Amino acid sequence: MDRVDLTLNRGEVLGLLGINGAGKSTTLAMLAGASRPSAGHVLLDGQDLAEYPEMTRKLIGWLPERAPVWPELSVAEHLDAHGRLHGLRGKALRQAGTDMLERLQLGPSRRHLAGTLSQGQRQRLGLGCALLHQPALLILDEPANGLDPVQATALRALIRERAAAGCAVVVSTHLLDEVTAVCDRAAIMHAGRLRHDAPLAGTGTSLENTFMAIATHDAREVAA
Amino acid sequence: MSMNALLRCEWRRVRVRAFFWVMAAVVIAGMAWELILMLGPFLAQQQKLIASGTDIGYTDLVLLPWLAFFVIPAILMAPLATMSTLAGERRRGTLALLMASGLSPLRIVLGKYLAALGWLLLILLVVLVMPAALAFAGAPDWGKLAAAALGLVLLLGLLTAIGMAASAHSTHPALAAAIALVVSSALLLVNRGSLQQGVIGGVANWLALPTHLQPMGRGLVSSVDVAWFVIGTVLALALAVHRVAQEKDRD
Repeated sequence: MDRVDLTLNRGEVLGLLGINGAGKSTTLAMLAGASRPSAGHVLLDGQDLAEYPEMTRKLIGWLPERAPVWPELSVAEHLDAHGRLHGLRGKALRQAGTDMLERLQLGPSRRHLAGTLSQGQRQRLGLGCALLHQPALLILDEPANGLDPVQATALRALIRERAAAGCAVVVSTHLLDEVTAVCDRAAIMHAGRLRHDAPLAGTGTSLENTFMAIATHDAREVAA
Repeated sequence: MSMNALLRCEWRRVRVRAFFWVMAAVVIAGMAWELILMLGPFLAQQQKLIASGTDIGYTDLVLLPWLAFFVIPAILMAPLATMSTLAGERRRGTLALLMASGLSPLRIVLGKYLAALGWLLLILLVVLVMPAALAFAGAPDWGKLAAAALGLVLLLGLLTAIGMAASAHSTHPALAAAIALVVSSALLLVNRGSLQQGVIGGVANWLALPTHLQPMGRGLVSSVDVAWFVIGTVLALALAVHRVAQEKDRD
């Protein structure tokens, strides 16, 4: 990662694009507090995450790529564990778990072990764990992986709903359609650097042209 | 509070895994069988012992040697109980999730350590119920038994910590189990050579696990021996914490 500078406002949805290995997942892991940048800071409401790890717990929700789960725990147990890890207790925890099961249509699978879930169900479970504590910053790494078209549409609606509630959302994807459908702004990373960051509305050139220009220009540079 | 949440989650994961139950069943059954085997010869000689007027009873002849036998399953169980704690989490990607939940590396390691140790202590507790159940048939030396039990608790604490350190430094759970087994076995055997040469004392002897465990197995609790176990445990846990902290700096 090299000189990545991003600002995200409340209620804004940022699409983070890049080819494989561009540094998207590493950037998101740093934003989520799972990795520490060797230089620079991640500021949330002006506070440095490294100095206030408690903020990570309460204010950030993260769905990593491939939605990692504990295979021996059930869907309901996952929601319970993640809720507790993020500071929820008692009635609030139970209510949040029930709401999330219903919202993500995981109710019938609530007792199923996570290790037996399909990729789409796992993805929805990961999403539920990230959303459970109503984070102020939601970080989603390839959230549409394994989702069918109906579920992908529901995911977009959910993202927009959270943004309307004031949540800042970062969505990493390599699907341009996904970004144009749900995001307010697009950022393009390449070789660990941020190469483009602009609102989607009102730009003259299409996002696809910009993306291809960055990716292919760099590929030509490498070949030369 | 978050460490309690992690401990609760880890404990739940331990309880639902068949592997942990099979391990517990095999060890408890093995210890019960060993106790029966050791009781047989003692009962055959009991009248002679009474006639000789010796003070040595079934605590010294049966229970303490039997509890010393627990070292072998302990050395095998601890690596198996801890191998996935960090190496497995890293492979699955759930370690990053835990770090993103604001838990410090120390709390992550301690939460997992306490869950694994709790399970092993539960097995030890069931094993210790066996001699307690025989108390109606005689008068065991409770002081000696308590000292031996303390030794085994400290042993499990150390072996679990070594397992955690091995798991933190390994890319695969099987590798972690192998490393923990090698280190634990080395601690058990490090002074074998010098003892065979008749050398008592020295660094190898101080490093050896039996040097500090055997006195407790005979009913003698020394603060030096307790300190040896505590230092070893803290050192191994510190290595695990250090490695998990490095994980966060990985770019």
